[in-house]
Amino acid sequence: MENYRIFDSELDKLRDRVFQMSVQVNRQLIDVVAAINSGDLELAKKVINNDEEINNLDTKIDKLCQKIFALQHPVASDLRYIMSSLKINNDLERIGDHAVNIAKKLESLLDYPQLVEELGIDNIGEKILALFADVLSLISSLDITFADKILDKADKIDMDCKKIIAKIFREKLHQPEVVEVSANILIIINLFERVASYSTNIAEAISFVVDGEIIKHKKRT
Amino acid sequence: MTIEKINTENLILYYGQKLALNNISIKIPEKKVTAFIGPSGCGKSTFLRSLNRMNDLIDSVRIEGKVMIDDINIYDKNIDVVNLRKKVGMVFQKSNPFAKSIYENIAYGPRINGISNSNQLDEIVETALKNAAIWEEVKDRLGDSALGLSGGQQQRLCIARTLAVNPEIVLMDEPASALDPLSTSKIEELIVQLKEHFTIVIVTHNMQQASRISDHTAFFYLGELIEFDKTRKIFTNPEKKQTEDYITGRFG
Repeated sequence: MENYRIFDSELDKLRDRVFQMSVQVNRQLIDVVAAINSGDLELAKKVINNDEEINNLDTKIDKLCQKIFALQHPVASDLRYIMSSLKINNDLERIGDHAVNIAKKLESLLDYPQLVEELGIDNIGEKILALFADVLSLISSLDITFADKILDKADKIDMDCKKIIAKIFREKLHQPEVVEVSANILIIINLFERVASYSTNIAEAISFVVDGEIIKHKKRT
Repeated sequence: MTIEKINTENLILYYGQKLALNNISIKIPEKKVTAFIGPSGCGKSTFLRSLNRMNDLIDSVRIEGKVMIDDINIYDKNIDVVNLRKKVGMVFQKSNPFAKSIYENIAYGPRINGISNSNQLDEIVETALKNAAIWEEVKDRLGDSALGLSGGQQQRLCIARTLAVNPEIVLMDEPASALDPLSTSKIEELIVQLKEHFTIVIVTHNMQQASRISDHTAFFYLGELIEFDKTRKIFTNPEKKQTEDYITGRFG
């Protein structure tokens, strides 16, 4: 009963590109977390250099969405998918930017491995990777159960980040020898928190694709 | 608050033995544009024609159920069909002007309704042509043959002719499907303007047209009304899978 539509090949292409984008961003997150854990500046540099590729893909996805809107006039679930792809693409691109921003801060941490460990930055990094694994699964499967997992994990990461930030304010910022590195760690923690937040945006955008409801401003129970 | 203008209750229509409309119940709001969509043969035009009893002209048609317009069942025995069609006008896919002057095309209806005062007729003609957004194009050649007009102009003339007898409801069966994009957009713009005074029901194959101009959309399939809702809802998040499949072109 299903018709083949010319449109379907465009949609497939869009799906592929969004997935490709999410895989590349995932790679960036894995590398930046590994770079922090190992103090590997070369790996951090690789993350910084890879950003251009992600930006190119971002532009391609935007153009493809624009083309589909103009030429295919999508409606109903097609419309929701393309609207959401635009948003997801934007969120992924921002996550990619944050991976780069974190990578740029790595050098300032190199002389303070103990502080990094004490504050649990590695731990936050691992949680971000677990969160983003769910983002990948959600984007490829559109299985909404992953959206709930993402929202839960992001909440926990947010709480962890707040605890670390409080600890820095309480214990570190008045120690002149670690003030500068602590300020940089604050920035990194904040960037990780933003990655988690963009991940929840993606979860919400895909919920909109699947059931047509806009949930982003609804209070969760 | 929306007021219902047309309210059908369990409308069933047979062509001979063939069931063409199965239990259609719908409430069409007043002074809004309601679009009927669906694949060929789904019953949308048949249903449209049952709203001013055009199907009476086909011998084999049998109808059950009610079509209430302003709380009166138009299939009641004492209904004057001529008066009904004055109240519920119709515009067809193919424009069908009379082989008369532009003026006479419009004055014809009012004249057979007993208006003979020429000042009054002039006024009716001008108002109808203005309401149909064609006055500026024809005001200097009202005596010319209507057949000399372009397709899009002829269609607007036919709309003006329908409006000249002061209907409350205008039924339109694919009114722009034979027109070029510019004429189509003029007709669409006109339809949106007309809803200020008239209840418009339009059958269209062109889903973008339905989405552009209608307030409510009804999707018909195999003689059934599958879904009826605000147009915005139908085209962003329809309830029924059949609707979704049809409007996204996955159907058939």
